[in-house]
Amino acid sequence: MSTSAELVWLLASVARGDEAAFERLYEATRAKLFGVVLRILRRQDLAEEVVREAYVKIWNSARQYNPSLSSPMTWMISIARNRAIELVRKRTEGTAEEQSNFELASDAPAPLSRREMTEELKRLLECVGRLEPEKQKLILLAYYNGWSREQLAAKFGIPVNTAKAWLRRSLIEIRACLGLA
Amino acid sequence: MMTYSDDHIALAAEYALGTLDADERALVETMMIVDPGFLEMVEVWDRTLAPLHQMVASAEPPSDLWEKIRSSAFPPKEHSPFTFSPETPAMEAATLDGVPEPVVGERPVPIADGEPEGDRTVVSTPVAASRGGRMFGAFMTAVAACLAAVISLQIYRPDLLPESLRIKPKIQVVEVKTPAPVPAQRVAVLQSNAAEPAFILTVDADAHGYTVRRVGAPLQQNRSYELWIVSGKLGAPRSLGVIDGDKFTMRDALAAYDPAIVNDAIYAVTVESKGGSPTGAPTSQPLWAGKLFESVPARESKP
Repeated sequence: MSTSAELVWLLASVARGDEAAFERLYEATRAKLFGVVLRILRRQDLAEEVVREAYVKIWNSARQYNPSLSSPMTWMISIARNRAIELVRKRTEGTAEEQSNFELASDAPAPLSRREMTEELKRLLECVGRLEPEKQKLILLAYYNGWSREQLAAKFGIPVNTAKAWLRRSLIEIRACLGLA
Repeated sequence: MMTYSDDHIALAAEYALGTLDADERALVETMMIVDPGFLEMVEVWDRTLAPLHQMVASAEPPSDLWEKIRSSAFPPKEHSPFTFSPETPAMEAATLDGVPEPVVGERPVPIADGEPEGDRTVVSTPVAASRGGRMFGAFMTAVAACLAAVISLQIYRPDLLPESLRIKPKIQVVEVKTPAPVPAQRVAVLQSNAAEPAFILTVDADAHGYTVRRVGAPLQQNRSYELWIVSGKLGAPRSLGVIDGDKFTMRDALAAYDPAIVNDAIYAVTVESKGGSPTGAPTSQPLWAGKLFESVPARESKP
């Protein structure tokens, strides 16, 4: 993984229209963006399309990136993930193949060792860790798999309104724990 | 800077987390366009949750993806793509100074269940999430706080709203008949939540005209419903005309807009004085909103 400093530099060059910097940025970040998006979409062809669109958006809006607000990866992942979520929410009916993938994907990824985590991630996980175990899982599955309230409700065997209430309470608690204004 | 209720905060957070359905996402996107404070709150949640990506295994995309990105990102110019790129000596120096070369992709780790072998016949084009539009008409900024409050109350606590703003629960099954498919046919359901569609908007295949069917919205006696197209690319909302008391309203009001904007825009309905807003801008808060979906896909015409 490239350092954040190098990515900031590359993004600044991309913002000036430097195509070579854009290619280097792509080389350095493509596997992470593709991994995040593929996990949500669970289809290679859709993931490709979303990642293509995400990089086009990164190219076109690089000058809106503000390094004082977030790391470059955070910024780029948000763009890609947002598109992936948008797409899955519009594809309401899944194929049989996707349904079976749905089951296989039920677990959150294995945790990293603390050494590999950024400070931001450690702080967030500390706050998530204060939730009840089921709600921890709810938040993480929602993020990693891009699941809707309905899918989460089915997974946890609870009514959709309960899933909504759990999400709401958990997110408000995380916010308080992180001390967000 | 206005303060937000827990309902707002949770809505912004769930948008960033990704658990909202398509209609709620469209509503949040409307709120993000009209209320910079709400947009900022969503962005804070995006940044708060994004570090979780560190735990997701990387996966190597196909090798031809770069070519596709390049041809989409760089408009075709006369020159060869390799003559343009200026060398960036400072960046090279930084690399030599010990900043490691990117190694992502060296050890691609497949995700848990492998990659589905693609049937590649279905290619859906994701509609851009319109996050833009910070520039907006002064008027809409003024009503923004009000709008956000009303919409979220309609979602979460309709009982707190005065009778006139409450949306009557009235669920009807609507069948949208579409002609034989050639270009994609697009439909938006304008609503405040998924159980209560108020209007069904169908855009003609050529994106010039539209038909609105009033479904759940109550008939207005002395007021008119007005339809607006809202897009960061347009600045202020533009009127698409009054939706009459009839069940169906058809107009050719979209011809003036770029089809790409038509397809990506948010459509919102306000209640205006009889005959429509006298100012050309909305004078009340949108009560229903939605984005277009393909109801019939374009017939593939691959090279």
